[in-house]
Amino acid sequence: MKREMRMVVAYFLLASVAAMISGWRVLAARPLVSKASAIQVLMIESDEIKLPAEFQVSLYEDLVHQLEKSGGFQHVYRDGDKRAGDAADLIVLHSTVRGFKKGSEMARQVTTVSGKTSIDVHCQFTDKGGKVLLEQDLNGKVQFFGGNLRATYDFAKKAAKLAHDNFVASPAS
Amino acid sequence: MTGKSWKMLIGISLLQLGLALASAAQQAAPETAGDLKVVQLTGLTGVKNHTKGTVKVADGNLQFTHAQAKTEVAIATIEDVVTGNDSQRAVHGFVGTLTMFAPYGGGRFLSLFRTKLDTLTLQYRDADGGLHGAIFTMSVGQADPLKKLLVAQGARTSLPTPDAPAGADGKPSATKEQKP
Repeated sequence: MKREMRMVVAYFLLASVAAMISGWRVLAARPLVSKASAIQVLMIESDEIKLPAEFQVSLYEDLVHQLEKSGGFQHVYRDGDKRAGDAADLIVLHSTVRGFKKGSEMARQVTTVSGKTSIDVHCQFTDKGGKVLLEQDLNGKVQFFGGNLRATYDFAKKAAKLAHDNFVASPAS
Repeated sequence: MTGKSWKMLIGISLLQLGLALASAAQQAAPETAGDLKVVQLTGLTGVKNHTKGTVKVADGNLQFTHAQAKTEVAIATIEDVVTGNDSQRAVHGFVGTLTMFAPYGGGRFLSLFRTKLDTLTLQYRDADGGLHGAIFTMSVGQADPLKKLLVAQGARTSLPTPDAPAGADGKPSATKEQKP
């Protein structure tokens, strides 16, 4: 009985390792949408949704910081930066807020299950000429710990990863 | 009147006095550009997020001073200044985090006690034209006077206050648009 149990556990372990390796290969082999060494982040737009100014600014600042920290780009330019015009293989990130629910930090801390803050943002990556290279909807949320503005950090991390995976060649490939 | 009634009367009076003092302290807003205690949540170049310090308006700049250094934003470069409000736990920071592990839901109970805050959000341009955003939190009643001061010295706002200085055309000066 013990031997059979060991065999079952070993089988599951091997299967997990095989699945991980296969997933890693798929990720590593995924082609880039376009190679870019610089990115310009435009100010977050929220024409359809009434977004408080502090959330708009926090989304923008977190996005810039995360792209600088983990995006892998040589240069991250801000909205209106004159130097971006001279940058070779530049991509431009347009972000539009499509949904916003301001939760309550107090409700989260008191009840744990309610008071979630959530922001839905449509991200569009274009080249210098405005040709769309990639579009995707991303979500930022804070469910348990932290203030409402932490949702913008969550979104920024996802957006930086999306940009890195699709426009920056990883050392493995 | 019995001794018990006197005690009750004094108790109620003390409670009312305490409430009145607390309310007055909350509503006391500085009229001048003295140093205001603030927390810089994000956005100032070279300053870490959630840095405590003071701000003041001097020499055409918004000056943020904290333990290590002073950071300035030229008021003429401010494209938008907006106020808002928020709240935080009365017991916050590291101690606040520790209280979350208090037994019998003590941390949750403490979360019910909150202090109101004002927020001041700025958008400004650097020397290369790059857009920056900065968010400050401060005590209730301090953000609006600071915003008025900034607008009076040339900062622009997308949400003008009712008594903002009027331009020649009767509209509030240096405003971009009136948001709904």
